[in-house]
Amino acid sequence: MQAGLKRTMVVMLVAAALFSVVQQWLSTLHADRGGEAIATWEARLVPARKVLPLDRGVIGYVGDWDVPGIPYALWDQESEYLLTQYALAPLILKKGMVAEWNVAVLKPKTFAAWQAAYGTQFEVLPVGRSVYVLHRLGSQ
Amino acid sequence: MTLSSFLIFLPTILSGSLIVHLLWPERRPMALLLKLSLGVGLGMGISSILYFMILVVAPGRVNMLLVTFILFAMLSLAVLVREQGRQWDQPRFPRLSGLQWGLVTAMVVALGFMTLTFFNLILSRPQGAFDAWSIWDRAARFIYRDPQNWHAAFSPELDWLNHPDYPLLVPLNVAWGWEAVGQETQRIPIIQAMFFVLASAALMFASVGLVRTIGQASLSTLVLICTPTFIAVGAGLVSDIPVMYYILASSVLIFLALTQQPRLWILSGFMAGLAGWAKNEGLLFIVVSMLVLILTRPKGPGRVLTRYSAGLAVPFAVLLYFKSIAPANDIFALDAGNQWTRIVDLSRYWLLLKAIGAQALGFGGWSFSILFALAIYALVVRLKPSSHSRLGVLTIAAIIMLQFLGYCAVYVLTPHDLEWHLGTSLGRLILHIFPSALFLYFNTIKDPETIFA
Repeated sequence: MQAGLKRTMVVMLVAAALFSVVQQWLSTLHADRGGEAIATWEARLVPARKVLPLDRGVIGYVGDWDVPGIPYALWDQESEYLLTQYALAPLILKKGMVAEWNVAVLKPKTFAAWQAAYGTQFEVLPVGRSVYVLHRLGSQ
Repeated sequence: MTLSSFLIFLPTILSGSLIVHLLWPERRPMALLLKLSLGVGLGMGISSILYFMILVVAPGRVNMLLVTFILFAMLSLAVLVREQGRQWDQPRFPRLSGLQWGLVTAMVVALGFMTLTFFNLILSRPQGAFDAWSIWDRAARFIYRDPQNWHAAFSPELDWLNHPDYPLLVPLNVAWGWEAVGQETQRIPIIQAMFFVLASAALMFASVGLVRTIGQASLSTLVLICTPTFIAVGAGLVSDIPVMYYILASSVLIFLALTQQPRLWILSGFMAGLAGWAKNEGLLFIVVSMLVLILTRPKGPGRVLTRYSAGLAVPFAVLLYFKSIAPANDIFALDAGNQWTRIVDLSRYWLLLKAIGAQALGFGGWSFSILFALAIYALVVRLKPSSHSRLGVLTIAAIIMLQFLGYCAVYVLTPHDLEWHLGTSLGRLILHIFPSALFLYFNTIKDPETIFA
């Protein structure tokens, strides 16, 4: 009786393991293609890399959080910032308009608000698809 | 491109296996599989350490493929010289019973599904999980794109979410892999991740097979490779699987050093060092394993510790140097003044306990609690530890327990929102010690061969 129970346990463990791995495989057959979002983001930033005159060092990163009166979702902004850092490596991105050269990722409406607040301090080089390279005026 | 991405790592992996063979000339088929699986981690660790040292001395483009070929040639020569004149018996593969064939077949089928799942997940997210691109591949890009200025990969100017203090085993291998194939392809981090996933499975099978039976080895490997989190984290291309692998490798080698071959102390120390070089949690493992080795050998830890420390020395020295030039870790640097307040806040312990309880029920992504299922399985089939491995079992159990308590202490101290921190990492941290716990578990319970006898 007890020997039978032990044998059943072994069979059940094997069956449960196989069920689990097949179930996971089935769940991944139609998984979303989230990776394309990263590739798309990188493609958006290629023109910015070409315009920026430096290959290493620190540049600023301007997101929704830098524009007064614009509501934003913190983790969306953090993710966009980290994606931009990933795309522009080995440049180091610091949050804010902190360097001579800065990259802004802003939707047209948000960019208009930013320009109204800070536009006179920067030369703006639009590089397409809501990406802007900002050069601080008066810098060498 | 896929084939070349795969082939470039072979010299360093085979070098790792040759080093294990030089230290431990055991020739049983299961020992050979163990050497091959240990070779993956050892080789990957050595290549990243060599690349790091070269970059420290002479920053710039390095032909690491040539370096690994030279290392492989030298080690092959050393093995040939040592093996000269020795009789190589035909390896005798054990005759498997019907039960063993059944269990091995089930494991191979599961391995097939695991591999398919791994590639489905990779197709879905070729850049891996959030941490893969924001931390590990980000660091690899810094090194590959500007090797003269590779220090920028861990600049204090980087945001804390980029974790510039994280050690470099994985990014360095990715960077030299890109250098070797001549372009920045996602295939390199994917192949590296695949090697660590398969090596973890092979290490589990070979180690349990060596100290117990083929049936028991198949069961332990089945449980590991059918754990959804194991596959998902592996395909996430993060460093959690490498650190998990090194913790398992070091634990297995400690066990074998205690029960079979004292020469393996050096290798277990080296693997512990590589755990620290793979991810910060490995640093805790170094401290914990040293502590346990002292406590479990109160009469004379000297000789064991000397050998273990000798193996640990090189990766630990590299790690210490890296830590001396990298920024401080966010957990200890941010809001450091309020640590005492967090320690005495009882609500944090309650939150931690609730999260551990949730993991006990849902760890690994199984559709039932695998931890409870394994507990019931043990109650029914009963324990059967071999008498000569008592010290080994106690040592590994103490290491796993202390490592887990160390993780709990870090959660108590964390300056980040505790609920968020637990939610994003506790499952992965438990995964770090899960295979070592499985090794211990299947070492102490009755094997299927005995049950079906």
